[in-house]
Order: sequence, then structure tokens, then C-alpha cells
Amino acid sequence: MTVSRRGFLKKGLVGGAILAGGGVLALMAAPGKRTRSPHGKLAVLSPYEYAIFSAAAARLVPGDGAAAWPSAEALQLGDELDALLARLHPAAARDFKRLLHVFESAVTGLTSSGTPLPFTRCSPAQQDRRLEAWRHARVELLRSGYQAMKRLAHALYYSSPKIYERVGYPGPPVVPQGPA
Amino acid sequence: MSILSPGRIRDARLEPNLAVECDYAIVGSGAGGSVAAAVLADAGARVMLVEEGGHFTRRDFNMQEAWAYDALYQDHGNRATEDLSIVILQGRTVGGGTTVNWTSSFRTPDRTLALWAARHGLSGLDAAALAPHFAAVEARLSIREGDPDDVNANNRKLLEGARKLGWNPELIRRSVKGCARLGYCGMGCPLDAKQTAALTYIPDALAAGAHLFTNARAKLIETDRGRAKGVVCDVTVANSPRPKRFVVYARQGVLLAGGAINTPALLLRSKIVNASQALGQRTFLHPTVPLVSFYDEPIEAFYGAPQSVACHHFADRGDRVGYFLETAPVHPMLSAVAFSGFGDAHRRTMERLAHAQATIALLIDGHHDDPGGRVRADPDDRIRIDYPLSPALREAAVDAIKNMARLQLAAGAREVVTLHEDPLVIRSEADLAQVDGAAFGPNRHTLFSAHQMGGAAMGSDRATSVVDARGRHHELENLWVVDGSIFPTSLGVNPQLSIYAHARLFATEIARRH
Repeated sequence: MTVSRRGFLKKGLVGGAILAGGGVLALMAAPGKRTRSPHGKLAVLSPYEYAIFSAAAARLVPGDGAAAWPSAEALQLGDELDALLARLHPAAARDFKRLLHVFESAVTGLTSSGTPLPFTRCSPAQQDRRLEAWRHARVELLRSGYQAMKRLAHALYYSSPKIYERVGYPGPPVVPQGPA
Repeated sequence: MSILSPGRIRDARLEPNLAVECDYAIVGSGAGGSVAAAVLADAGARVMLVEEGGHFTRRDFNMQEAWAYDALYQDHGNRATEDLSIVILQGRTVGGGTTVNWTSSFRTPDRTLALWAARHGLSGLDAAALAPHFAAVEARLSIREGDPDDVNANNRKLLEGARKLGWNPELIRRSVKGCARLGYCGMGCPLDAKQTAALTYIPDALAAGAHLFTNARAKLIETDRGRAKGVVCDVTVANSPRPKRFVVYARQGVLLAGGAINTPALLLRSKIVNASQALGQRTFLHPTVPLVSFYDEPIEAFYGAPQSVACHHFADRGDRVGYFLETAPVHPMLSAVAFSGFGDAHRRTMERLAHAQATIALLIDGHHDDPGGRVRADPDDRIRIDYPLSPALREAAVDAIKNMARLQLAAGAREVVTLHEDPLVIRSEADLAQVDGAAFGPNRHTLFSAHQMGGAAMGSDRATSVVDARGRHHELENLWVVDGSIFPTSLGVNPQLSIYAHARLFATEIARRH
């Protein structure tokens, strides 16, 4: 890393330099796995970025221990994210894409959780360790990065009516609509 | 009384004109912009409002979080501080924050007004000057004394816990008429029971000849020889790579009411920066600390009036930062974002949602030496919000977590679960000691803000403020700020009613010149 620790900490989630640096590292790393494919044409994400987010989302939402719950894949969270990013400021979308590459990188995997593999090539247990490492990182930027992925995955997943019953929420009441 | 024919709401995307002209251009259609428009239009001025959001009505309000946050909130529900440590809920639609707020209505506390006079050099603005404007707005928005029937199970826990501990809870006055207590104020009221700006002052303004252009984002204020000349807007058109330019020229003046993040950013983008360097500084958020408790019986905090009880027992903590307590509704998406952890651990918390009670502590920032946050405007139009958590705020947050836990236990909670990244489980007073030892800081504990204030503060001293005690810009004599940006500190209460009343006072004085 060529960015000083002080400079590093001063940058926000989408501060640019560190994530751009991370992007370079990501390119140097071993290729990732694209096991999950988009359901339609992507507006903002590349198929690789789609696969990275989808892999993270699969671990962030209820996992294998909850068979009755829909998977991230079933709710098409990657596609939902792509549509959301298309509506955000282009710079915000660009920075989130950079974050995905840093998170995927084998180099940051090694330094954050001791696994020198792209996130998409990690086992579920290794993936959870990487998420935990970012979640509790001393470096603020990594914690911000974790929160960005966590909140987006949870917002997209838990706003689906398909999970209402699972959380004991009967959903909105039926409201009689009078004349406008 | 206006002699103009009635105006209407027009979609700027469909507007054939590239420029329009009026007496007063108003940026933003929320609490401040709407009432200012109504007052000026009623005085006979030709008024035009620009609103960056869209126009949605009760038929659109489907009570689904997936639609509501995307359609009605800033950044499609994704606004946050730069480091993501504080999620910022802020409206972006016709009616602004009034379309999505939780209806809680308070006058500006006397102690806050006294603080502004004593410490921020603000003279000529006191409770007496504001009183008639509060009264008028309260009448227009049907704000009446708090109603015990509004109290749902979520708020009842706050009421009972605070009563048991002798903390003097109060019923909240709400801006509603014929409320069915559905619980979806934050997603737009499908019954038109909530008396939003879109149902009150905007129709008043339109009836008096004002026009409102939607989907028009104010990009720059045009100035000419020390006067504001007009507002240049970006209008995003489908299938077009670049936004369309739409200009509202103002013969008399420009009023800014885009809210306490967008207004300072608009002034910064327009390079209307005065010598004080105060612009964009001292942004206050009432940083809000939620605490969730679980009960044996169902609480169903997703239903019922979202806020009906408040507790100001800890608002004045002497030389320490104070806070006040209210509740938050627990719809699945908002709760999932707030609850820490992921995967199955997070799922297990979500599965108890119907039994969850959410108390929130709103930190009263800016009343001590804490400097608040800062708004920056990037050259590419992106807005950045920095908000460092000062040691004084952290102390208040930790104290608030402990007192909220005491309250919830007093109300009969089976257990309290904190929103630290490593959640603490509190079942008795003895467990509270853990709270002092838990890491608290950016992205180590859930924080959000539904109240944005400051950034273009009122003051008599040009060296430390942006506008005067009537909202007029210190350098541009025909430019006013009429939204929450003007507050020199946070209010210590929910700000909607204060924004309306200040804007009404300012607009009434502007109208006298007309």
C-alpha cells in the first residue's frame, strides 16, 4: 500500500485512492469464480462484480441452517443491487464497484483474514471469516466496506414480501381506497 | 390576497420551456419551502417552487419499504455519512420530510432559543416572535394535544418504563387528522391522514397562483452584482445521457429550503461562500442510538402510530451532552439494516421481530463544544457528509444505552440486546457494566439520523454565521434560507414544526417588502 495510514484513515468508504489501489491489487490476484450469473442484462455491474456481491450476499442473508428461507439467489439480490446502483450517483456506484474488487482480492483476503484466495473461491467458512474480519477490523475503511455490503444485502433481502412471514410480520394492512 | 389564477404541479421533465420567470423562486417543497410559498403567493407574489423529487400521492403509498425508501428518500434511502457510520433518513419528494416523517410536533424549546441568544449571538428571535407562527402552523396541520389512544405497544413500553423510573414521559402532539394508526408514516400516509405539506401549504400556495416543478434538481444559484438572479436546475430525462437545464429566474429573490444537507451543498456549489467559513460547517444530526428489547408478549411495533411518547428527562445533563428518548417502528427492512451481524445469527434476531420494542436516544448535538459535522460539495455534484463522533457524544451514547436498558427492563423486557457489532445481552442491572467496556465508535454500533440541522446557521455576527435572524443571507440581500440549515445547534426536539414556524416568520417579513 502506498497510502499512509493517516491518509488511509482520512478517506471515506468511497475515498478513491485506497480503493483504486485495492483495485490494482485485485487485478494482480488469482482469478475469481463466477458461479452466479445475472438473470437479465446488467446496467452497472460487470458479471464478475455481480458474482462477488452475490457470493457475499449469500453469506450475509440467512444461510444453510435456515432451509425455509429464500436464498439471496432466489430473491435475485445481485440483479436488485445492479438496478439500485443504476439509480445512484455514478460516482457512488463506481466506488461500490471498487469496494467489491478490494473485498474479492486474494491479497486483502490474506491480510484481513489469512486466506490468500479470492472471496469467490473461498469455502463458506472462509467467506464468513473474511466478513467477520472486515466487520471487526481496526481499520475504519474495512468496517465501512463491510457495512456497505451488509446493509445493501439486508435492505434488498428483508424488504421482499417473501420474507415477511418468516419474521412474523403479517405485512401492511389492506386500506380501502376511496376516490382520489 | 392573490389575484393570480391557480397554479399547479408540473413535471419539469415534460416542461416545454427551458426557463420561466417569477418574483420568488423557492428550492424545495418540504416544511420550509411550502409555507414560505403559501405566504408569499398569498401576498400576491408570483412564486415558483422547484423540487428534486417526484410527486406521489396516497394512491402511490403502498406501505412497502422496498418502494418507499427508493422513491421518497434522499439517495434512494442510501444517504449516510461519508464513513457510513450514520444512516441518514431524509425525504426527497413533494412535501419533503413532511411526507415521510413520523408526525411528532414540538415547538423549539425555550432553552434552545436562550442558548442561541447567549452563545451564538442571535438577537431578535425569541419565543414571542415565533409564537404566532407556531400557532398558525399548528392550526393548519391539525396539531392537537397528545392523544393517549395513539399509544401502541411499542410506545407504551417507553411510557410505562419512564413512569416507573420517575422520568416524566409525555404524550407527543401529532400532525394528523383522522389517523387510523396504521404505522406507515415513514412510507407516506395512504389515508391522507398525516397533514403533510403536500396536503396543506402546497395546495394553499397553488391556489394562490404558485407553480411547483417536480423532478428539477437545483444545481446552482445564479447571481449578478450581489443579488440572486435565479436557480439553475438539472432535469434528468429518460434515455438522455445528460440532464436537461431548466432555469427559474426570480425578479425579487430566491429562498432555499432543500434541507440541512442539500442547501449548504447548493450554496457551496454556487460558490456563495461568505467570509465566515461557517457555510457547510456545524451540521447537526441528532445522532440516534437505537436499543432493542424483547418481550414475551407480541409488541408488533410495525403497527400503530410510530411515535406518540417522548421522554426529555436526560435532555439537560449539565456540562455533558443531553439526549431525549422516543421510539422507532420496526418494519423488516429498517430493522434488518439496524440489527448487527449477518447470516444465521442475524436471522435469529429477525425471527423475534414481532416481540421487539425499539427505544431510541437522540443526542442533542451542538449545545456544548461538540462541533457537529460538515457538508462538502464535490465538483461532480456529489454531496459528502463528515460527522466525527466526539468523545462527548460517545459518552452520551453510552449513558443513553444504559438508561434505555434500565427503562426497558422496568417495562418488563425479557432481555435487551444492544446494537453493538458484538451485541450485548442485558437481563438485569448487573449486566449494565458491560456497556462501559464495549467498543463504541464509527461502524461499531448502529447509528442513524432522521433530523438534519445546521450548515447555514443564523447569527448576528457575519464571522460565525451565514444568514441573519430572519434567514437573509449576510452577503446577498435577496437570498434567504428557510429550512433546518438555519439552526445554530440541534433543537433537542423533532424539528419539523420549528422549520415551518421559522419559515413562516421569515416569509411574512419578506412579504411585507413585496
